[in-house]
Parts: sequence; C-alpha cells; structure tokens
Amino acid sequence: MSTVAIPVGARPARNPWVMLGKGFLMALLVSAGVLVLYPLIWMALGGFKSNSQIFSDPFALPNRWSFDNYVAAWNLGVRNFLFSSLLVTIVSTITTVFISAWTAYGLTRTKMFGKPVIVGFVLGGMMLSPTVALVPLVQMMQSLGLYNTHWALIILYTAFRVPFTTFLIRAYMLDLPRDLDEAAMIDGASEGQIFRKVMLPLCRSIIVSCIILHILFAWNEYLFAMIFTNQIDVQTLPVGLTSLMAKHGTNYAEVFAAMTISALPIVLIFFFTQRYFIRGLTEGIGK
Amino acid sequence: MVGLTLKQVRKNYGNMEVLHGIDLDIKSGEFIAFVGPSGCGKSTLLRSIAGLEDISSGELYIDGALMNYVPPSKRGIAMVFQSYALYPHMTVFENMAFGMRIARVNKAEINRRVRQAADILQLTDYLDRYPKALSGGQRQRVAIGRAIVRDPKVFLFDEPLSNLDAALRVATRIEIAKLKQSMPGTTMIYVTHDQVEAMTLADRIVVLRGGDIEQIGSPLDLYRHPANLFVARFIGSPAMNIVPAVIEATGEQTLVLLASGERVAVPVSTPSGLKSAPVHFGVRPEDLRLAEGSGIFGGRISLIEQLGEVQLVYLDVEKVDGPIIVKLPGTEVIHVGDVIRLDVDPQRIRLFDSGGMSVA
Ligand SMILES: Nc1ncnc2c1ncn2[C@@H]1O[C@H](COP(=O)(O)OP(=O)(O)O)[C@@H](O)[C@H]1O
Ligand SMILES: [Mg+2]
Repeated sequence: MSTVAIPVGARPARNPWVMLGKGFLMALLVSAGVLVLYPLIWMALGGFKSNSQIFSDPFALPNRWSFDNYVAAWNLGVRNFLFSSLLVTIVSTITTVFISAWTAYGLTRTKMFGKPVIVGFVLGGMMLSPTVALVPLVQMMQSLGLYNTHWALIILYTAFRVPFTTFLIRAYMLDLPRDLDEAAMIDGASEGQIFRKVMLPLCRSIIVSCIILHILFAWNEYLFAMIFTNQIDVQTLPVGLTSLMAKHGTNYAEVFAAMTISALPIVLIFFFTQRYFIRGLTEGIGK
Repeated sequence: MVGLTLKQVRKNYGNMEVLHGIDLDIKSGEFIAFVGPSGCGKSTLLRSIAGLEDISSGELYIDGALMNYVPPSKRGIAMVFQSYALYPHMTVFENMAFGMRIARVNKAEINRRVRQAADILQLTDYLDRYPKALSGGQRQRVAIGRAIVRDPKVFLFDEPLSNLDAALRVATRIEIAKLKQSMPGTTMIYVTHDQVEAMTLADRIVVLRGGDIEQIGSPLDLYRHPANLFVARFIGSPAMNIVPAVIEATGEQTLVLLASGERVAVPVSTPSGLKSAPVHFGVRPEDLRLAEGSGIFGGRISLIEQLGEVQLVYLDVEKVDGPIIVKLPGTEVIHVGDVIRLDVDPQRIRLFDSGGMSVA
C-alpha cells in the first residue's frame, strides 16, 4: 500500500495512456464491486417486498418499506440462531486464539524434551479431516452429554482450529528475536508476563488475523453444526436457515429477510476490521 | 571481597563442548573485557554468567553466593544486548521502567530513577518516543539506561558497539568509560572481538580462544608480555611481526638464528634443552627502527601507508613469508623500493617455542 509521491506544485503528467489505464482500472474495480454487492443488496431489498412482488417484479424497489418480513423471520427462529451463532463464535474464537497463542509460545520459546515430535503432533492436526472423525465424535459427545449443546460446537471448533491457528502464530513468533524475551527475563518477568506483556503485543497483527479467520470459519461452519445440533434453540445460523427454508421455502420474502439478518454481523465486522485484516494477513504471511 | 568467581565452568550444546572449564576471579568493581575471535565462546560465557544459558558443569559465584540455579533477574545483573533488544511496543520511558513495574516499585520511585538515568544519558527529550523513532546511538543509550535503572552489581555488555558506525563507536566507547567512572562499585564485563575496545576500556582482559582462556592480564601486560603466540598476534594493531628462528646458544642470553640469516642475542635465559630448537621470534612494529649500522635484519620496501604522524612500512624480507611491518615516524623520508636495515631494543624481543608458548 505505497503511495506515489507527487512533487509539490507539479501536476501529474496527462499522458493519455496513463489516463486510459486508470479509467480501465476504475471500471474494473467498480464492476467487481457491483458483482459482489448487487446480490447482497438484492437480497436485503427482497426482504422488504411481498412474496408476490418478488416474482412479479424481481428487480424493482419494494412497493412499501415494511419490516414485517424481518420481524417475522426474527420470530421464526432467526433470533435463536443468531444468539447461538454469536455465542459459539465468540467463545470458540477466544478459546482457540488463546490456546493457540499459548501453545505457539511454548513451542517456540521453551526447551522441552522431544519438541519436534510435539510440534509434528500439534500441527499434524491440520491434516485431520473432520468427516473421518464424525462417528467417534458423535459417540463421544453423546457419552459426555454434550450432544445438542452449544458446548459441542465450541469444543469441536476449538479442537479443529487450534492446529492451523497455532501454525500461523508459531511461524510469526519464530521470526521474533529471542533477545526480547531474554531482556524481559532479566527484567524479572515471569513466563506469563513475558507472554502477555512482550509476546502478545508484538504478535498483535497475526492475532487479529487469526481472530478474523476463526470468526469467518465459525460463523459459516455447517457440517458439525448440522450433525451435533438438532433443536431450534441450539442451532446456528447456517443450519437454522436451511431448516427455515425447508419449512417456509415458499415464502421467499421471509427467507431473504432471515438471510440478510444473518449476513449483517459478519459484514459489519469485516467493515470495521478490514484495515487490520488486510495488514495482518500480509504481515503475518508475507513477512 | 570477590565480585565474581567461575570454577571449571563448562558448557555443552548437545555433544559439542563450547566452554572447556573456565576458571576466573573477577574483583568487585573491576572492568573486565572478554576478547577473542568470533565463535570462541565469549557470548556463551557472558550468557552463562547472566543465567540465560545453563552451565553444564562447574560453579558460578556472584558476591560469594552460588548462582548456578538462580534465575537471571535474581543475580543482580543487567545486560546490554548487541541488538539492544528494546521492546518495540513501549516508549523509551516504558522500556526503562518495565523491570521496576514488574517488581511493583512505586510510581514516584520509578519516575525518579528513569529520569535520573535519562538525564545521565541525555535521553530526557526522548522519553515519550518509541524505539523505531530513535537513531542507533540513542537506542544504544536507552539499552544502557534500562540496565542502569536496575542498579546492578554486575553490568554485562555483549558487543554493544558493533552496530554503530565508526565515529559513533568512538563516542559511545568514551561514554561507557565515563559510565564506568561514575559507577565505581559496579563490576562490568564487556564482550568484544575488537581488541582496541578491550585495550581502552578494561582493567583486565580475558583472551579466549576456542572455549579456553589463553591469558588474563592488564592491557599493557598482554601487550608487553603475551603468554603465547595467539595472544601476541591478537593484541595490538598492526599485529606483532613473527619471524621463524632457531636457538643456537642457550644460557643467560639466548642466541637465535633468524630465517633471514642474521644472528640476534636476546636477553632472556633459556634452558640448555632448547638448544637448536625452532622458535618464533616476535617484535612489534613500533619497536623496530631504522638501523644506524647493520641492524638485525633488512629488506626492500613494498608498500608505505602514510598516516601523517606515523607511516606503516611493509618490508619484504628474504626467506620470510609475509611482509614485516614497521611503524616509523611520519617524517622519515623513504620510498617504495628502498632497501633498509632495521634495529630493535633487545628487551622488546619476544620468543615463543614451537608450541607457541612464550619462552621465559
Ligand atoms: N544455541 C546454540 N546451539 C549450538 N551451538 C551454539 C549455540 N550458541 C552458540 N553455539 C556455538 O558455540 C560457539 C560459541 O559461540 P558464541 O559464544 O556465540 O561465540 P562468540 O560470542 O565468541 O562469537 C560457536 O561455535 C557457536 O556455533
Ligand atoms: Mg557473540
């Protein structure tokens, strides 16, 4: 994201080719933006229409700006799904990122016996396909009495995402100079203080990236959510919306309203954190 | 009172032994320099003293107390790292205050000590800056400040000047010398591969090679009486000239035959067993002078480096590998290609046996 320095007082050259290139780029970006945004806007607008208008007049603005469909969708279960999704996403993000950062710290900063094996073991978890583990996991969750609870999803999301998140944070920590922790050690900091006061602040950009990546994963996860939950007050949005469509599939207006509500939080999160997101990813991976 | 004692300190990395039984006594308040070529174990020794590395065997005492199992922060030490190791996410003030905040020192006291250190190091105007907004020299001073506020018994430096440019290096060297004077009770251990830094700063120098101590002594001691060929070559710049020779006669005086063919009487006594033993004949560039008469040896000038005050004259001497370097006054009129004869004060000649040890 470098800016081109233009000398004060000098005007950029009006080279027609440069102008044309810029115009072309602009057009490309606008088309890409429209391509991405239009379906979303169309969906949100659909939520305001009546079911018959959606079919008779799919591309027009709504006749009447009424929140009836949104309210109906909200009461049909979107409220519960949204709450479940928020709960599962927030809690599993906290547990995943915290466990991963702490693990990465241990893997990069302590002397321990057989470390390569442990590293291989933790990071090897990335290879594990969730589908393969489904049957034993279902039995395990049932015997633990966690089947059809939010905890089932929180635990599974954490367990399956810790390896990848650890991998990212560990790679970042390996590049941080050891001198800093040694200086902190001489300054009298305990392991916990070195972690919190020196390592975490230095890892901020990669941690933010990991948080966002995990939110995206947990918010949209379908397989586990479908298999481990089966009641309206436990199901998350992706599963809940599917069952909503199955039950009220003919009322597109309400389905559109429900989908709009479910997409809103993630769009807002991305909108407010895109600066960190882009920087964190480029720093974390490109550096 | 002994400041610091090392007894048979060894350090292994896996199967490789890096320090081979270091014995060292450092007096309280002394300024000690560890010098030696890169990879000889200077940093490892310093880090073992700091507690950043565990000692594989042997004992380390600071102020009479065994330190082997004491964590770094409890050893009464402070360390200045080669990379400075400033916390990039903290201001200069926070960097210096970090240790005290961890130790829950009260705010007023933290403030007082940081400001005092900043004052000494001329950092007062920079206390709110982050390290990335400082020059190399300023960062160096912050690293020193962070060490000062700990009020350590032992101050450890690991090549603190190696990241500075030449002019700043000299200036900072002088700052460190002043710092030493202002903290007379503090023991300082200074690691460097630069013998000039060691000579100018240290009370005593420890010369290391390959994980062993070669010699310990005052700078002048090492310069005048190197215990072996390695120290003789390492201390002093340009290095001591070494000419192969053979002992022809032993006794009160020793008569040696130089590879170049001349005979020189050296005023040291040697045991008769050394007769006809090969030796190394050493003489420092500044101890050689133009001969009035025939001198001890001579040769053709291949290069002159005129430095103004002195000139370094490179001499090709027959049957001797490598040039003989002579330091002559800058006013002496000589030219490349001239053949000159050299003389030396016999007291200044050093002899080393075939194993490289100094012949008493
Ligand atoms: N962590 C380590 N693991 C293995 N070998 C090391 C380690 N640190 C240093 N060494 C080895 O120990 C020797 C001494 O290193 P060091 O003390 O850093 O030398 P110096 O500071 O004198 O240049 C070197 O041969 C180096 O390769
Ligand atoms: Mg070193």
